[in-house]
Amino acid sequence: MLLDFNKLGAWRWILGAICAAMALFLLLPIVFIVALSFGSSRWLIFPPPGWTLKWYEDLFADPRWIEAALTSAKIGLIVMVLSVVLGLLASFALVRGTFRGRAVLRAFFLTPMVLPVVIVAVALYAAFLRLGINGTLPGFVIAHLIVALPFAIITISGALETFDPAIEDAAVLCGASPWEARLRVTLPGIRHGLFSAAIFSFLISWDEVVLAIFMASPSLQTLPVKVWTTLRQDLTPVIAAASTLLVALTIILMILAALFRKGKSE
Amino acid sequence: MTTATIRRGSGLGFAMPAMLLLLAFFIIPVAGLLMRSVTEPEPGLQNYAALLGSATYAKVFFNTFFVAGLVTIVTMLIAFPVSWALAIMPSRWAAILFAVILLSMWTNLLARTYAWMVLLQQTGLINRSLMALGLIDQPLQLTNNLVGVTIGMVYIMLPFMILPLYGVIKKIDPAILQAAALCGATKAQALRRVLLPLAAPGLASGGLMVFVMSLGYFVTPSLLGGTANMMLPELIVQQVQSLVNWGMGGAAAFILLVVTLGLYALQLRFFEPKEGR
Repeated sequence: MLLDFNKLGAWRWILGAICAAMALFLLLPIVFIVALSFGSSRWLIFPPPGWTLKWYEDLFADPRWIEAALTSAKIGLIVMVLSVVLGLLASFALVRGTFRGRAVLRAFFLTPMVLPVVIVAVALYAAFLRLGINGTLPGFVIAHLIVALPFAIITISGALETFDPAIEDAAVLCGASPWEARLRVTLPGIRHGLFSAAIFSFLISWDEVVLAIFMASPSLQTLPVKVWTTLRQDLTPVIAAASTLLVALTIILMILAALFRKGKSE
Repeated sequence: MTTATIRRGSGLGFAMPAMLLLLAFFIIPVAGLLMRSVTEPEPGLQNYAALLGSATYAKVFFNTFFVAGLVTIVTMLIAFPVSWALAIMPSRWAAILFAVILLSMWTNLLARTYAWMVLLQQTGLINRSLMALGLIDQPLQLTNNLVGVTIGMVYIMLPFMILPLYGVIKKIDPAILQAAALCGATKAQALRRVLLPLAAPGLASGGLMVFVMSLGYFVTPSLLGGTANMMLPELIVQQVQSLVNWGMGGAAAFILLVVTLGLYALQLRFFEPKEGR
């Protein structure tokens, strides 16, 4: 009755209305930001009195925004590669390993995800000040890798669990070396997991702000840090333009990930 | 040849790079920070005594738990009907709703928070709409207070509640609800006595997760909550960044860490299915 949509009667409309209201609530800020970024009002009046590309022009005319975006992309790509490689190795150990305490190790690998990121940020900030790598590219990469790795491990070990190890064994029995079997049989078999892990790792680094605030220096900052510092001064529509580009990138990456998932199920 | 003879070694070596990374750049730094809470400015527990003894900090602790609790309750109230509907609605609608949820979840956190700052400000869309509708005469103060943080945080937390809860409700056998109906239960009775108890593990587990995540959030509370509603993560940042008081910052971080890991352990103990291996 309650779990049969067609027999809910009037309750169906109540549930439907709640879902519609929530969907509007979730979409409102995203649609609003995109609209504002094309609106001509400096004071963010909505609906805007006219339409303009001025904020995008301002954004692209300011080398600091461009530089921040390039830094974000560079850090994101390095984190993506390292996170997938380390995540793949760790997943092999967790899923195919025979040593004791794998469950404990898995919990250990996932702790950075559980702990409030502000604690990790402050702790790394202190350590990096001592090591002298605060405000450097390696500092950013290490900090983002710590929080991206758990997601890569979850995704890749999930893919590895559904891949039958007997296929790898068969390759070995047919004369492949264990490494050959892993690289040429297992890796292609879990490529969807690897791809999702890569996208997640990149997005986590690209969007991350708390660690980045602590790692940033006046000469090196990521896009979220630039948004953060600008945001604290005033709510200029240039941020709406930057945010719109971020939303667009997220949608593109999500569609890519969805396409890959579709390819997997077919 | 058996599986055991094909693979040599236990596989522990594969875990080494990730283990070393976490040891060097996670475990040791966090331990170092916690050490500083009992060694700076001088050895002893005076930082903890100061944190737990003063009314100013008591207010921060209260705020942290109050906001996290409020956000959790509001999120649950919205997430339950939505997850329920998602579990039973035609799959095409569900796919659209899931896409909306995932889109909001993966949209840049700062972009979302910025949107709410603009929407909720004195001259923002929400205030203007309410005034145009004649519901209010004066713009309401919606940012830099509890209202702002709650709206901003619920927005962020909804997907984290809906996705696990949906999983739990989807697994409930509809026949149980049919049985309740056959036995004469009204819809309200079936909801209260059958569906809610069966969904309770999902509500509790998701709620605990949202509560823990809310305790540790920094960006949204500091942009939408204002200084009067300071939460524990903001206190940590303030102590370290503005006051350069590593002892106090470390002590506050330790308290947040203990609470977080304690609740996480509770979550694992009661809600995670035991692994078969």
